[in-house]
Amino acid sequence: MATSDKLIQVRDLKKYYNNGAIKALDGVSVDVNRGDVMVIIGPSGSGKSTFLRSLNLLEVPTAGSIVFEGVDITKKRGHDGKKLDIDKHRQKMGMVFQHFNLFPHKTILQNMTLAPIKVKGVPQAEAERKARELLERVGLGDRADAYPIQLSGGQKQRVAIVRALAMEPDVMLFDEPTSALDPEMVGEVLDVMKRLAKQGMTMVVVTHEMGFAREVGNRVIFMDEGKILEENSPAELFAHPQNPRLQDFLSKVL
Amino acid sequence: MNFVTIGQNIVKLTIKYWDKFLITGMGYTLSLAAITVAVGAILGSLIALLRMSKFPPFRWIAAIYTEIIRGTPMLLQLYLFYFALPQLIPFLNRKQYLCVAIALTCNSAAYVSEIIRSGIQAVDIGQTEAARSLGLSQRLTMTQIILPQAIKNILPALGNEFIMIIKDTSLASTFFIGDLMTQVLLIKGTTYLTMEPLIMVAVVYFVLTFVLSKLLGMFERRMRRGDVR
Repeated sequence: MATSDKLIQVRDLKKYYNNGAIKALDGVSVDVNRGDVMVIIGPSGSGKSTFLRSLNLLEVPTAGSIVFEGVDITKKRGHDGKKLDIDKHRQKMGMVFQHFNLFPHKTILQNMTLAPIKVKGVPQAEAERKARELLERVGLGDRADAYPIQLSGGQKQRVAIVRALAMEPDVMLFDEPTSALDPEMVGEVLDVMKRLAKQGMTMVVVTHEMGFAREVGNRVIFMDEGKILEENSPAELFAHPQNPRLQDFLSKVL
Repeated sequence: MNFVTIGQNIVKLTIKYWDKFLITGMGYTLSLAAITVAVGAILGSLIALLRMSKFPPFRWIAAIYTEIIRGTPMLLQLYLFYFALPQLIPFLNRKQYLCVAIALTCNSAAYVSEIIRSGIQAVDIGQTEAARSLGLSQRLTMTQIILPQAIKNILPALGNEFIMIIKDTSLASTFFIGDLMTQVLLIKGTTYLTMEPLIMVAVVYFVLTFVLSKLLGMFERRMRRGDVR
């Protein structure tokens, strides 16, 4: 299972609200391979965030399946009849949010060590050593004992990224990680993400940063009205968009 | 009305009955309020848990309870508990203080449950999402992330509830249980003076609640300072 290069297989995923009156996801099928940097673009309300949040079941899909590392996490019970422990699978999927969602009552270090210690049972000293090392790597080694409120937006988002990395996930999900940042702070966060991609981390990124999609992504997906309308390599997708709605979208954002 | 006479009477009454107000009355009022808030907080937490349960009938029970308590006058609840409880539980026969305490507690629990529920729900949903996405269980998310933040919303409101209850205990004087307001009725009965004991007890209530709300304000400011460390 671990050797399969299909990390996540999504089949016919649907998310309806109000008994189907609103179709946030209307049959999405896609595979995420190990090492992929998949960038999802599309107008707001296209379902791209809902799709991303479905991958770790923050949104519970109405229908369809998500097979993550060989296990269909949308089923309440596995093949062996045991109850599915979604927490176990979420540990393997790091997530970064638009609004950072750092824990304000804990220091940066505590933010990062909480889950490794409480969930994985890592000894505190080791968790802290690892956290400091990660902080060092994103240039925040000296802020370990600060509280989130003392950090700038860009710093908060870098902490949020390494907080997720501290759990040693197999895939990182990014939900518009730079949308809430002041323009001058976008670069520092994208740099961290670029380095992560270079190290071979599997990433699924919902973003409006077309430069990032083009430069870092190996696959770009265009979504609208809950469907994947086009998928291609970034070079192809941006140079020769096929779908008229993608052409329209690109003419507005580029 | 003769203000000079009233003033003189108040001085006389104060000398003669100060202990009735400041020791007996205040003792009953404060103990009743303290018991009500303490037990009400525990009961209120349980109701809040029911209210946020995943099992719908639990939510309904909690919601119905809260709505009935909030939708009927407290004096009516006092009467109902006072007369019904001893008939249901013989142990409570002629235990007026206990009956009133139970009535006040049941009333307060409904309000406290709403304080706790709104305090918990005021914590940004993103906090829960971040915690769950890290693999924290629902229980760990609650104890490690949500409650420590919710407590900052809950404690000040709980303090206000305490102040409210102090004033509400005056209704208990309907059953002569000995609180501040009961003392007014007793003094009125022996001296045939009405205005004087009323003014005196008003001062006591005011000083009590004013000092408490100032203390609460200080406590709240200190807690908020903790946020910006």
